[in-house]
Amino acid sequence: MNQRNPLSRRSFLKALGGASLALPFLQLLGDAPTAFADGLGARRLIILYFPDGVPGPSQNGEPSLWHCSGGERSFAIPDLLSPLEPWRDRCVFLNGLSMGGTDAGSHPGGAKKLLTGVDGGGGESIDRYLARTVGADSPHRMVYLGAMANHNNASGDKHISYPSAGQTTPPEDNPVDAFERLFGQGVPTGGGDPAPDPRKAQKVSVIDGALAEMAALRSRLGGVEQRKLDQHLDSLREVERRIKADAAELPPPVSTCDSPGLSGPAPPRSELYEPGRFPEVLKLQIDLMVQAMACNLTRVGTLQASHHTSELIMSRFPDTELYDAGYDMRSHQASHYGASHDFGHREFAEYVKQRRWFAGQLAYLLEQLQSRPEADGTMLDYSLVLLCTEVCDGNTHQHDNMPFVLAGGAGGRMAGGRLLDFGTRRHSDLLVSIANAMGDGLRSFGQESNGGLPGLLA
Amino acid sequence: MTDQAPCRPPARWAVFALAALLTASACGAPTSEEDGAGPWSPRNNEANNGDGTNNGANNANHNTNNSDNTLEGRQLYAELCADCHGDNGRGHSGPTLWDWDRGRDALVAITDATMPYGEPEVCEGACAEAVASFILATFVDPGGDNNTPLVCDGLAELPTRRIRLLTRREYAATVRDLLQQPAARCSSLRDCDLRHQTCEAGACADLPCDVKTFYFDPQGARYSSVHVAGEFNAWPATVATGGWAMAWDADLGLWITQRSLDPGTFQYKFVANNGERWFQDTSNPEGAPDGFGGQNSLLQVDCAAASSGALAGLTASFPPETRPEGFPFDTAADTGNVTAVHIEEYLKAAERLADEVASSDGLLPCPAALMDAACARTLLEGFGAQAWRRPLEAAELDRLLGLFTAQGRRADGLRVMLTVLFSAPSFLYRFEVGEAVGDGTFRLTAWETASLLSYTFWGTMPDTALFDAARAGELATDQGLEAQARRLLGDPRAENVIGEFALQWLGVEKILTTNKNQAMFPDFDVATRQAMAEETRQFVSHVVFGSSHKYDELLLADYTFANDRLAGIYGLSGVSGSALRRVTYPDGQRSGLLGHASVLASYAHSDQSSPILRGLFVRNKLLCQSLGAPPPNAGGVPEVDPNATTRERFRQHTADPFCHSCHQFIDDVGFGFERFDAIGQLRQVENGQPIDATGNMNDVEGLYTDTDAPYANEAELAAILADSQAARSCFTRQYLRFVIGELEDDADACTLRALDDRFAETDGDIQALMIAVTTSDTFVLRRPTP
Repeated sequence: MNQRNPLSRRSFLKALGGASLALPFLQLLGDAPTAFADGLGARRLIILYFPDGVPGPSQNGEPSLWHCSGGERSFAIPDLLSPLEPWRDRCVFLNGLSMGGTDAGSHPGGAKKLLTGVDGGGGESIDRYLARTVGADSPHRMVYLGAMANHNNASGDKHISYPSAGQTTPPEDNPVDAFERLFGQGVPTGGGDPAPDPRKAQKVSVIDGALAEMAALRSRLGGVEQRKLDQHLDSLREVERRIKADAAELPPPVSTCDSPGLSGPAPPRSELYEPGRFPEVLKLQIDLMVQAMACNLTRVGTLQASHHTSELIMSRFPDTELYDAGYDMRSHQASHYGASHDFGHREFAEYVKQRRWFAGQLAYLLEQLQSRPEADGTMLDYSLVLLCTEVCDGNTHQHDNMPFVLAGGAGGRMAGGRLLDFGTRRHSDLLVSIANAMGDGLRSFGQESNGGLPGLLA
Repeated sequence: MTDQAPCRPPARWAVFALAALLTASACGAPTSEEDGAGPWSPRNNEANNGDGTNNGANNANHNTNNSDNTLEGRQLYAELCADCHGDNGRGHSGPTLWDWDRGRDALVAITDATMPYGEPEVCEGACAEAVASFILATFVDPGGDNNTPLVCDGLAELPTRRIRLLTRREYAATVRDLLQQPAARCSSLRDCDLRHQTCEAGACADLPCDVKTFYFDPQGARYSSVHVAGEFNAWPATVATGGWAMAWDADLGLWITQRSLDPGTFQYKFVANNGERWFQDTSNPEGAPDGFGGQNSLLQVDCAAASSGALAGLTASFPPETRPEGFPFDTAADTGNVTAVHIEEYLKAAERLADEVASSDGLLPCPAALMDAACARTLLEGFGAQAWRRPLEAAELDRLLGLFTAQGRRADGLRVMLTVLFSAPSFLYRFEVGEAVGDGTFRLTAWETASLLSYTFWGTMPDTALFDAARAGELATDQGLEAQARRLLGDPRAENVIGEFALQWLGVEKILTTNKNQAMFPDFDVATRQAMAEETRQFVSHVVFGSSHKYDELLLADYTFANDRLAGIYGLSGVSGSALRRVTYPDGQRSGLLGHASVLASYAHSDQSSPILRGLFVRNKLLCQSLGAPPPNAGGVPEVDPNATTRERFRQHTADPFCHSCHQFIDDVGFGFERFDAIGQLRQVENGQPIDATGNMNDVEGLYTDTDAPYANEAELAAILADSQAARSCFTRQYLRFVIGELEDDADACTLRALDDRFAETDGDIQALMIAVTTSDTFVLRRPTP
């Protein structure tokens, strides 16, 4: 049962796209793997967001093409979700979760509520909450990656991660920069190494000096800009932990973590927002997220594909059923397909294909997690994955019956292969359940929260 | 609104009510089509109690003059009207009520029939009467003697004391100026960096980023000609077929030519005697296989990078600025949340900066190898004070010096000390904290004032003269401050910032990243986008600094700036080369900014024009009039119909009264742009149909002012806008936002009125407006944190 290939210790340079990234040491998976007792909980959370909803119930009353129907175990997976058919037993499909009535009918309104559970984005989002609770001991409290999520200076409510009420922060859209930050020169990974970073002592002095300057400023300013300074200080402390930790102090990798690298060539900066490259960028980011978690650099990750009201021209995706050389079909454009599900109407036909493509990205993520061993199983067994978008039906923009899908074993706490229908329960409770699955004892989160979703977790 | 029906779209009437609710409660929320550009959002203001009352604001003096139902009218107004018309009636997304001069009956009638916006049935009859009475008694004519009800509350309209994180643009410029060394002396080009510099007046000067010098050393051989051949000119074997001829410089012993290049990466070689021999550029280490077993030389031109040399791309991986809802500028004061990602990037940049300073003799008071504590102190007192834009306090000097001496090796000590200098909040933020004046306000210190002036006008740190003026106390007086403001405004460095302001004000930064249909517009590439952005920057900068300085020229100009990329789009002939130069609009169809490709292409889809986006551009960006979000199932863009024009396809907006209620303000404005396609090219027909580009700039001074202004072409539209008070007020507002970093609200009424007056009395002089901002209280005074 405990089959794993022994890893040899080696270090080498990887040159990618002109950037020279040195891995001064590689971890040794020497000790016994971290064993998870049954039902201990999810080792990690990955949120995968896609924009502009799904073909839900139409304005003319046709049933949703996304939502499963049937019994808890005997449900049918619709054609649109066919990429998830092989993953049926690892998924839990959720019907009946609502984000409430405020701003119902708007994309930004939905995006603000999605991970915060609070109208208008007036609260911290669940990923940030978990980052500073269960994630606080990791080298990175959380990792927030995007694929063209900052396109055209997208900002504010186009981003879904809220470090504090009303304030978002942008994801990292560039896989090369993200890789640098996670695995770049001088960044230690767990497991010990004979050659510590020669500049480490200086880096420690620098971070201490920066902390001292921040402390002095805060006291000098009294209460002025307290929130901003507190956040700055908190971020300094997070980086301080990383800098000061000896390689031996860092948590060991949970899975294969040898020679981390970008899984393919990344587009140069000038092509980072070329729509034809979107699939490869998203794939790089997914791979990077999985790799970071395999190396145990973080427990909380949010992957944001584009942003609401997306101008992403999905008909430029090469080698997909979406591709059409001369015809532009954008995500938001397709989402406004009209009052009924009419496959004869081009927008609708494309919209269905687009959403199927996004479902396929979840399948890809699950495949990556499944392919890496962890403890007595795979990373997927110990992960919790949430697929989400900011509205239900893209045309009506309603915030009811949101198309959430959960996946992964959550360390034994979540049984797959189920369809759960919650009537009209507030989605805040999904966020509570996610926290609980991660080992946090949260009882309510956001607005109108009544505790975790009954029956979801073991 | 929600019930058991899972994600079921509501009935039509419910949608209408929802839309109304949406609009009324989030008046000015950005439309779903736009990139969040609604300019108004209700702001947390300590003076607003949230119940319609307002501490110490305009209406406080008038509530004794009650007519019978003023009190009830007050409550109704607060509930139904204030969100759009402002708590003190000055106007928000709805027009101002102060200037109402159509009489009571008309006010009652309009309120009854059309107000509140989107749900007029909510206030009719007695309600309309009460609200109208309140409005007239409170805002329009409280004393019954036509006094303007403008009582200014000095405190409420000041920004709070704050610190503002440097934007990427500001960080890069600051670093460039901080590390600038005196130009190297030269007697000939050989003394400078041959590829990137020229020798002018005895000093080496940087060439513009897109201009490169090619030089070839023949190693004693004699050639009759040498030329450059490469991917940029299709590898010509001879000069006659397009090779870039080089000239022989006997003094230098080199063949030389200087060329301006498009952005990109290019392979090239030197060719002697029209094809006899081909050479690699041995001075250039970068190369690529040439397919014949040899190497081509490789040159990269990337002018988006912050600077060249050791600090190239310093801010390239910094996180982008977050712009709060409805705030279009990167100068937002309130956001700037520093996450761990920011810290990592700042530390990396600080290390690079520290290394650069430590190895630059020109910046150190003593050679690095001889640095001791005394010299380090001198460095901090000089260079350090410039970096922090103020003298360092004794405790700060001690702390930083302690870092220097704590390291074992001198070099490490210097590096650590400098890295902390560049990682400290005193470097990363600009401060608007001030010192107490005694009346509850705080006035920015001399140093803070200097920084606010330099970042406002130049987007960078103060220069030596400005630091000197601060030290001498000149910025404490209005005259001294204004004198420096005028000096900065008159300096060429001001041109960069006005160009950036323009791109952000107009919302056309996205021209650099927006995508267009490649089959329809194969030439819309990186060089074209950059040219479009540069055109708008240079045009606005030229109007403000080189021409009349007047607002109306921005709209009425019959010229723009173009290069060879743009010549095709504008239908110009005889324009070659990538440098932009002034050209007259050739087609008689364009006028000022409305004719810019950056505007027309940013407000269009990838494959079609968009009267909606263009109409909203005029409303939002030029008139500061915001409409609510469209109802959710409004339907998307009508499909491209090969047999119909865009105007015909959008007919439903006019035909359907439900759609018409909002679209009456959008479509008729935007249809006038239909002569211009998705990338701003002129067209006379669309899908074989002639284009009707007439329009109606209705209600230009405010929504529901019930005016019509039909126009036959863009020049006429531009004339209407140039004359409009709303357009000028909007410009004032936009510029103030950019400087102060916040959306204005009711409390800024006085500041805005003063700026509007100044703008009017100078006939729309933008420089006068910019100076007026610096002399208003809002510039140097702050109120305490609530």
